[in-house]
Amino acid sequence: MEHLLTVKDLNVTYVNKNRRVMAVRNVNMAVDKGDSLGIVGESGSGKSTLAMALLRLHPKGTEITGQALFEGKDLLAITKEEMNELRWVKIAVVFQKAMNALSPVHRISEQIEDIYRVHCPKASAEEIKTRTLELLKLVNLPERVYNLYPHEMSGGMLQRVAIAISLLHHPQLLIFDEATTALDVVTQGQILKEILEMEKTLATTRIMITHDMSVVATTCNKVAVMYAGELMEFGMVKDVLTHPHHPYTQGLQGSFPSLKGDNKKLVSIPGFLPDLSKECKGCVFAPRCSHATERCHKEKPPMVKTGEAGGAACWLCIGGEENGK
Amino acid sequence: MANNAYIEIKDIQKFYPHKDGKLFHKAGERKYVKAVDGVSLSMQRGEILGVIGESGCGKSTLGRILVRLEDPTSGDVFIDGVSTKEILQKDTKTFRRQVQIIFQNPFDTFTPRDTIQKILLRPLKHHNIGKDTVERLKICKEALEAGGLRPAEDILSRYPHELSGGQLQRISIIRSMFLNPGFIIADEPVSMLDVSVRAEIINMLIDLARNKNAAVVFISHDIALTRYISDNIAVMYLGRIVEYGSADEVIKNPQHPYTRALISNCASVDPFEEHEEISIEGEPPTPINPGPGCYFAPRCYMATEECFKCYPNRVSCGGSHYAVCDKIKVNGAENS
Repeated sequence: MEHLLTVKDLNVTYVNKNRRVMAVRNVNMAVDKGDSLGIVGESGSGKSTLAMALLRLHPKGTEITGQALFEGKDLLAITKEEMNELRWVKIAVVFQKAMNALSPVHRISEQIEDIYRVHCPKASAEEIKTRTLELLKLVNLPERVYNLYPHEMSGGMLQRVAIAISLLHHPQLLIFDEATTALDVVTQGQILKEILEMEKTLATTRIMITHDMSVVATTCNKVAVMYAGELMEFGMVKDVLTHPHHPYTQGLQGSFPSLKGDNKKLVSIPGFLPDLSKECKGCVFAPRCSHATERCHKEKPPMVKTGEAGGAACWLCIGGEENGK
Repeated sequence: MANNAYIEIKDIQKFYPHKDGKLFHKAGERKYVKAVDGVSLSMQRGEILGVIGESGCGKSTLGRILVRLEDPTSGDVFIDGVSTKEILQKDTKTFRRQVQIIFQNPFDTFTPRDTIQKILLRPLKHHNIGKDTVERLKICKEALEAGGLRPAEDILSRYPHELSGGQLQRISIIRSMFLNPGFIIADEPVSMLDVSVRAEIINMLIDLARNKNAAVVFISHDIALTRYISDNIAVMYLGRIVEYGSADEVIKNPQHPYTRALISNCASVDPFEEHEEISIEGEPPTPINPGPGCYFAPRCYMATEECFKCYPNRVSCGGSHYAVCDKIKVNGAENS
């Protein structure tokens, strides 16, 4: 089967005067049509860098190697103009802070019109307005929003506007970069529900970048766990969250309290993120891992198949030792 | 409510004048934002009370009033039967010894120009704990090591920007514990931290309440976390408490429609966990002269005409658990 997006051996390195920070290392992943993939990880795990690299929004001077095939085209190799054609039309993004994503001095209507005209320069004002109102309705916003300025709206409303804008040209791939993190519990719940509701009618593929496992649990069918720039584990949400194979995923899960289940003691993962500017020989997680053996510090574990559609990069998962704990 | 409660919060109110651009107002015309509108709670020693609610519900204002970073418009807090107003009039130092706060952002909590040593020595010196610097340093080192920050000498010589958020937050907790306060307010202490270090801060707070017998108010919007850490939970909406009870009772058997909606909107880590499908519209309004009826009525899915007429009464739902809603049928007859 043809994947919608295939990421092959992606490496992203931020270069500054005296340091090279390898923010994303050797990431391989595939996203199928209709998938909703959640990328989870702590801050500094490279999840946002990965998304920015796919969108080519990384800062100047960043070194990127590898491939990101989207419908047969390599997103990392095509020209700037070709990339601009893809933006909004094929790939759209919703950022964490909608208040910063929208211009404070223009009405919502003007901003949406701007984006619409970039790709359909001949569109009539009538056409744009109909489409905008249609989208505002889709994200549960009243029509009066059309004539408002961003400062007249609350955070939740702005985030909805940002989602509406991202849907403007029926993109195939939607990337949510921490899109609900800055919102309140209730607003977040509402927006997540609306996203799920929307997907019933629109055939979009979604990548959710978040640090909150519970968001992934409620809205995604696949999950990829990242740590220190590397992919630790991936698979179906119901498999990974119920039976995590990688010790890091297990640790991450142990630090989330359950809402209604048993009150088990929270366990934290000792230690800190490694320095990403230094080359790491073995498994990146080994210094913080309680199951680490000598081999873990010396050799990098390969991605091993776990279950139906999953994989984990851990020596423990090789040779049936995965049930050790 | 027991009379021998250690902390007694009595009818705290905090009104901010609403800025409408006018300099002078006729009598009775000035509007107020009622950030906290009559909150009464009581706590025992060693108890952790969780306060949850959406942003703008007044939970942080309540926290700031409890440590007197803000003065309440009316109402008072009693610690061990003594009014904090009286304590403050006599001696601020004594009050600060008893009540401490842990802030949300550990990066803003410390002076960036001072080393951790200087930061930690200051409260000890100010409150005359320890004979001289040598003894005070010893206290600092012991506290740091007990808090899992090793090697202590190394940490002491560092500046705040050289430490991680988790380490700084632990130092913040250690500093607030130096004076052996009986009452600690933790205002979203972990929301700035990464998930993997969150657990140790939470466990540290629990140990602290249990071992030092301090009463802790834990303010947060993370419901699952609040349920984990707290003995009792108070749910706030527009400056008023709408539901109060033991943590498990409130989360597993919520009575007030607002609490139910809050919990149903809260995503869970367990993909198989069932939850009620309740959605509420919109966002909380600014509490400028909220109506005579129930404050939640405009957004409530259970509201009837009566709800808009007068503020509902407190309904007991067994034990200390109560909810402020007239639509609740006691004994869980209406549970789904």
